[in-house]
Amino acid sequence: MAYNKEEAITTARKDLAQRLGVSEGEIREESVANSDFPDMALGAATSGEMSGQMITPGWRIRLQANNQSFEYRANKQQVRLFNYNGKNYRL
Amino acid sequence: MNRNNFLPHVALALVLILVAAFAGQLRRWQKQWRSSVRIMPASSKSREAWNRDEIVRDDAGSFSEPEVLVRFRSGVSEATIRKITAHLHDQVVDEIESVPGLEVIDDLDDADAEAVAAEYRRLPEVEYAEKNYEISLDHAGGGLKHLHPDDPKFSEQWALANNGQNGGKEGADISAMRAWATTTGSDKIVVAVLDSGVDYNHEDLVHNIWTRPANIEQYRDSDLGMIDDVHGYNADQNNGDPFDENGHGTHCAGIIGAEGGNNIGIAGVNWKIEIMPLKFMNAGGFGTTRAAIEAINYAIDRKGAGVNVRVINASWGSTQRSRALEDVIRKAYEAGILFVAASGNASTNTDRTPHYPASYNVGNVISVAALDRRDELATFSNYGAKSVHIAAPGVDILSTWLGNDYEEHSGTSMATPVVAGVAALVLSAHPNLSVDQLRSLLLKSVDEVPSLKGKVSTGGRINAAKAVGAD
Repeated sequence: MAYNKEEAITTARKDLAQRLGVSEGEIREESVANSDFPDMALGAATSGEMSGQMITPGWRIRLQANNQSFEYRANKQQVRLFNYNGKNYRL
Repeated sequence: MNRNNFLPHVALALVLILVAAFAGQLRRWQKQWRSSVRIMPASSKSREAWNRDEIVRDDAGSFSEPEVLVRFRSGVSEATIRKITAHLHDQVVDEIESVPGLEVIDDLDDADAEAVAAEYRRLPEVEYAEKNYEISLDHAGGGLKHLHPDDPKFSEQWALANNGQNGGKEGADISAMRAWATTTGSDKIVVAVLDSGVDYNHEDLVHNIWTRPANIEQYRDSDLGMIDDVHGYNADQNNGDPFDENGHGTHCAGIIGAEGGNNIGIAGVNWKIEIMPLKFMNAGGFGTTRAAIEAINYAIDRKGAGVNVRVINASWGSTQRSRALEDVIRKAYEAGILFVAASGNASTNTDRTPHYPASYNVGNVISVAALDRRDELATFSNYGAKSVHIAAPGVDILSTWLGNDYEEHSGTSMATPVVAGVAALVLSAHPNLSVDQLRSLLLKSVDEVPSLKGKVSTGGRINAAKAVGAD
């Protein structure tokens, strides 16, 4: 699936709501910024995953829920949840 | 003999001698004239002249003409060669005795040398054909020989020739032009690009893509059975089509071996080479350790089958260690394959936080850091006085991209194929080097760079000219 920025944000919000067991309305968009990531897994490789070591532009999406902050990373090809309880996830 | 017949015979003999002498002089005059004129296909100035079909004088005041170097296959007779050249309205002007079958051929129609070379390449009797490139003196470089390609975007390739363009530092490059005066690569050397695949139809790569020779059997995978590996292997989708859907692998392939001197796009470190595309990363640019292992296993298998795979380029990685990946890289070492790997882009010291596969302590692994155009360690590049070995240009690197395109990208991904490319260039001149000898030679062939002191074990940037023995 190819994402644009809005679709990536929507995907991230849905994922977080599901993980936390809250409604999407309870999730606040803290910030969305263009960012260069260190590799093609957007610096958020999952277990057993290897990625191209090329600087990769994308979007850093910070969401807030339950007084906690969560970071998603996305580009046209993928959306990832970064460092959620010590692990990365590719959606 | 009758005395009356003697004088007419002497007179006839004298006339024949005079005619022969005059004809010989004519040929010498013709040869002198031919060697005193040149149509230069190299610089933009000369291309302009080429388009006007003019004969021009170069800066040094010397002249020559377009010629092609053609090597005919073993067993092709001299008579056949003459027949072929006559049929194409060409002429053999010299034989290179030390290389059997290698002839210097002049096109009598003064056609474009690259087009003439392409015509010969299509013949089954021909092993290879290339235009005769101009080798000139690099006055700024102390009179050292260098070779300047005619690829139109070459001036943007600061990694190969840094003239201070776009704020760069003059000389902060790999001295490619001086290396090319010694060798521009060889289609006998196969470099596996283990990546997201390669756009093997790209106009600047298509002639340098490996094709499985007819005498090598199809790849047999123990689980998948026979795979028709025409141009390599796709371990991501388990088939024989390693076409790139991302661009990253195509970019790396162009750095190693975009066809040089073809008046198209860019020049690779190698103008001629065989790039074997191995795909294990998907359209997003990531893949599994297992797929990487399967692709390396493929390269080892092909080496065993007789394909001259000498180098694997690995512009990828992660911080997760895999014993299985390490084991298969060791098997590649045992098979005589150099493994050049990206040190990673996390700005960290890999002596403390390793990045794999670059950090595996295996005898064939070279870990590569990235430099910018001012010879500074790239801000993103990993480093490590013990675990990173060498540096190469890796910021704003122009190379091939999907669909006959070209893009600039940055990363240790881009520095790694520079070193892999130099390894192949060395092998083109010294094909019998062992993997240990090759690795050792590369690590000795550096220019020490202040910003790398204490950051990489050699403290230097790869220098292709030193590596091939041109300096």
